[in-house]
Amino acid sequence: MSTAQHIENFLQLLTAGLLTGAVYGLMCVGLSVIFGVMRVINFAQGEFMMLGMYFAYYCFGAIAGYVVFGGFVAPFIAALAVGPAVFLVGLLVHKGLVSQVTGIGGSTLEAEGHYAQLILTLGISLILANGGLIVFGSAPVSISTPLSSTPWVVGPLYGDEILLFVNQGQTISALIAVAAVVAFAALMANSRLGRALRAAADNPVAAVYMGIDVDRAYRIAFGFGVGITAVGGGLLASTSPFQPYVGIDYVIVMYAGVVLGGLGSLRGAFLGGLTIGLVQQLSALFLPNQLQNTAIFVCFLLIVLLRPQGLFGRAARRA
Amino acid sequence: MLEIGELRVAYDGRPVLGEVSLTVGSGEFVAVVGPNGAGKTTLFNAISGIVPAAGGTIRFDGSDLLAVPPSERPHLGIAHVPEGRQVFPSLTVLENLQMGAYAASGRSAREQDLERIHALFPVLAERRGQLAGTLSGGEQQMLAIGRGLASSPRLLMLDEPSMGLAPAVADDIFERIVEIHCTTRLSVLLVEQRVAEALNFANRGYVLETGRVILEGDRDTLRDDDRIRAAYLGM
Repeated sequence: MSTAQHIENFLQLLTAGLLTGAVYGLMCVGLSVIFGVMRVINFAQGEFMMLGMYFAYYCFGAIAGYVVFGGFVAPFIAALAVGPAVFLVGLLVHKGLVSQVTGIGGSTLEAEGHYAQLILTLGISLILANGGLIVFGSAPVSISTPLSSTPWVVGPLYGDEILLFVNQGQTISALIAVAAVVAFAALMANSRLGRALRAAADNPVAAVYMGIDVDRAYRIAFGFGVGITAVGGGLLASTSPFQPYVGIDYVIVMYAGVVLGGLGSLRGAFLGGLTIGLVQQLSALFLPNQLQNTAIFVCFLLIVLLRPQGLFGRAARRA
Repeated sequence: MLEIGELRVAYDGRPVLGEVSLTVGSGEFVAVVGPNGAGKTTLFNAISGIVPAAGGTIRFDGSDLLAVPPSERPHLGIAHVPEGRQVFPSLTVLENLQMGAYAASGRSAREQDLERIHALFPVLAERRGQLAGTLSGGEQQMLAIGRGLASSPRLLMLDEPSMGLAPAVADDIFERIVEIHCTTRLSVLLVEQRVAEALNFANRGYVLETGRVILEGDRDTLRDDDRIRAAYLGM
């Protein structure tokens, strides 16, 4: 290959990495909210994302025909509609199951609480994945839209030799993901609800002294967490095919991103997800496609070894 | 205002408080003193609902407090300034005060409350944008008290406000507490190991030992009691 081809290849993968990375970043923010506020490691996060993908799939099917330019805007409307829907599912799952092993009562038995949480969220993950198999079937599906197969062409650059193709669907998805992260960060930083969630995360007992219903705060955080990740899933649904077991692939991406960025920091989680997207795509320069996830793991291990507090996080601290 | 009758609390079946009775009248400053492990903090936690009562009654303004969920109690006008300050370390000073005003009672007069707190503790105004976890111990205690006041409470419960502070800083905190009580006629329930100071400022006091009230009375009665003088005042 000529130098220009190498550069073209690199730029192409860089663009793809940034676009998928933005959506990964959104998914990581969802996981990070749950860990940051509740100190619960939610193994079922990938399955909530899968629910988001299927919800977007059926939602898209339902609205595409009725809206003018349906094929163009419906996938994005569907992805955003996933948020409130999975938020509600999250509230119910928390109320019925997760709250039994978390919260003020659970935290008095720190160690026992954690085992129960691990097993419970793992169980929820299995039930959702297998339930998905029964309800949705095992055949992979995808949302095909005119935009997801249409690129914008940048260039030719560098004297006619470099042409860059930027997928339109992915670009809009990435922009929506960034907007969602900014909106959620603003909610957490400036609203009464956001302050209450951060206070409950910092010191749940003192939060009760302030009059905060900590169980309710945890419930809302759980709903936000799974809802946000599910929106990420809804955005990915129009660019890649999926089936009910898709969660396990992405839960790895999410954990790597959150640990990379530093546990408990929203900004770190987003940047971590973005980094994972870049690592995954750029690894194609050196590695065969099947080893993309290996690259993520190597990167993850390096971070845990060299900088356990994460690239963008402070050292873990809890009062 | 606050009436506690024969309150019992047990951890794992082991009694920590045995039939404690105590009252705080409107506008009164009441001190609970006693050695480490006497159950003073447990008493406060039972009032806040963090630990369940095994028996007895707690009434606030005549209504049964034990029937109210813990997170609803601050909304009735009870502010708990906990032992060890327990500020929210990753929130700013101002955000901590805003959290104090989370309760319904604090929402109506938020601006005046904030001005009053800033006038009382000017350092909290100077450092409003700083993370609370980076404050010194004395400043965190001021913030914890300010956060308690931000809810416009009718009863302020202070758990060992002098703990871990240099004597001069602790004296300063005590002066502020007295100032708050004198200017607002707020009811104050103070738990303290520094018995001499606590009995100086309070109208009435209770001596708690191993989960029981062994002595109660007004300031002068307690200060003149031989047992108190020998055990706590070093006389």
